[in-house]
Amino acid sequence: MIPRLTTLDRKRWRLVGLLSPITLFLGVFFLAPLSIMLVYAFLEPGLYGGVEWNYYHHNFGRILGWADGEFEEFDLVYLQIFARSFRLALTTVLGALLICFPAAFWVSRLDDRWKTLCLFLITLPFFASLVVRLFAWVIILKPSGFINQTLISMGLIERPFDMLYTEGAVILGMIYIFIPFMFLPLYASLEKLDRSLIEASSDLGASRLKTFLRVTLPLSLPGIIGGSIIVFIPSLGNFIVPDLLGGAKVLMIGNLVEQQFLQARNWPFGSALAMMIMVAVLIFLLIYVSVVTRSETMSEGREF
Amino acid sequence: MLGWMGGLVRGLSQRTLLCYGLVFFAFVYAPMVIVFVYSFNSNPVNMMAWQEFTFDWYRSIFGLSNKLTEQALYVESTDQLKAAVKNSLIVACTTTTISTVIGTMTALAMARFRFRFKTFYRVLVFMPMIIPDIVLGLALLIYFVTLGGELGLITIIIGHCTFLGSYVFIVVSARLAGMDQTFEEASADLGANRFVTFRRVTLPLITPGVVGGALLAFIISMDDLVITYFIAGVDSTTLPVFIYGMLRRGIKPEINAIASLMILFSLVVASSGLYFRSRAAR
Repeated sequence: MIPRLTTLDRKRWRLVGLLSPITLFLGVFFLAPLSIMLVYAFLEPGLYGGVEWNYYHHNFGRILGWADGEFEEFDLVYLQIFARSFRLALTTVLGALLICFPAAFWVSRLDDRWKTLCLFLITLPFFASLVVRLFAWVIILKPSGFINQTLISMGLIERPFDMLYTEGAVILGMIYIFIPFMFLPLYASLEKLDRSLIEASSDLGASRLKTFLRVTLPLSLPGIIGGSIIVFIPSLGNFIVPDLLGGAKVLMIGNLVEQQFLQARNWPFGSALAMMIMVAVLIFLLIYVSVVTRSETMSEGREF
Repeated sequence: MLGWMGGLVRGLSQRTLLCYGLVFFAFVYAPMVIVFVYSFNSNPVNMMAWQEFTFDWYRSIFGLSNKLTEQALYVESTDQLKAAVKNSLIVACTTTTISTVIGTMTALAMARFRFRFKTFYRVLVFMPMIIPDIVLGLALLIYFVTLGGELGLITIIIGHCTFLGSYVFIVVSARLAGMDQTFEEASADLGANRFVTFRRVTLPLITPGVVGGALLAFIISMDDLVITYFIAGVDSTTLPVFIYGMLRRGIKPEINAIASLMILFSLVVASSGLYFRSRAAR
């Protein structure tokens, strides 16, 4: 005789049933691959691609500039690329913030109907192919591209500017593709912002600048931080934008990792580099989570 | 006097903001408009110097007769292009189905049950979206190669499902969060069993969320470049990877036409999705 299942048992089995697909899938195809990558970062690269299965910490040493003492000399080239990636990613965040903040502020003050339309128009490019949007900038910036052609035909310049394959082009490209990521969090916090606070501030005699600095900016801080993190993470490890708009001149960590895997075939070193990207991203995420929880507890404390 | 000046300043700043907003949207849309306009330019040598209007680039994509010389084209492109589009559609349809089922099940479990490892699961589900795509793509590459699997459509599908399930989860969860549980309780009180309740009450209620999540998954899968780039085999190129390869080899005017068609396709899918969602929300 089969024992009757109690309701509690049945409920538990339903839960197990609902959760098992994602558990299995992410366990086998997400956690396991990442663990193997972590192991690879500590393995010795084989002579002709491939790996030797012994512990080897020189992969990380190489990133930091300490050579393994036999074949390599002290060289800071990898740290320099890391530094450049951080600089470009931070500039991208800052640029996106400066471009999106006034626009988000403007949209948050519109009538509902216009608001919906503007949000729709902001979201739409996110769905258009990323490669295509970057390609658009290639044909705009290249020496025989849209800007140079226009300027030359207007007689303003004689020789084309070099705009493609510069750091500026990479930053511009990254800002362009990440605009929706920055705009939406900014909009969300500006939209919630209580207008009467701004009015109160100006009624009490604060100048517009002071009102902005003391009221609007602090209250939209969660959106600013959220948008910055969401833009920073994909910028840091990006290799498509520097590849298409930066050429060989503007290498970022992402390009380095890609080269190690697909050209140099040094998978352990590539894994070590990828792990460094991961660590950087996780650190920034932890900062974000702690800031958000603190601001949440603060605003709760204010209400009660 | 002061009030009048304040009004003037406010009016001015209102107008500045409006102008800025228009410039902002121009910045967002101009590059795509430029691609679209120049896809009708007949100049085969310098694609950004306007010559005259032509449909030839579109005709050559679809293999129709045109007046273009061989040199102006990616000679081999038409067949490969078709294969890439076919691969992209196969991958996108399969991953959308799988990730929609997995994501919806997870969302139901998280919204309707209390259990000990909930925080763990929440972090686990968010991880694939947060992790840089280059890291996930390469981790999967190492994994598949180490296990001795062959890279191809199956590996691409698996790779996409690892992170698309999370996107579906978020969209469906948002729908479930705003949903009234009393309908389900009423259905149970009226004697419907679990399955009937799910089929007749829960599912219709969450359908907008599920459809929205599926559309999002479809679009992201169609557009994914980085992860696909690493785990696609030689014969299983998808459309974005194909275009990326073309761009790396050099730019020819034909690509304008392909790019315009891709923009139009994704805009149509996305706007119908957003339209559907806004109607469902009402």
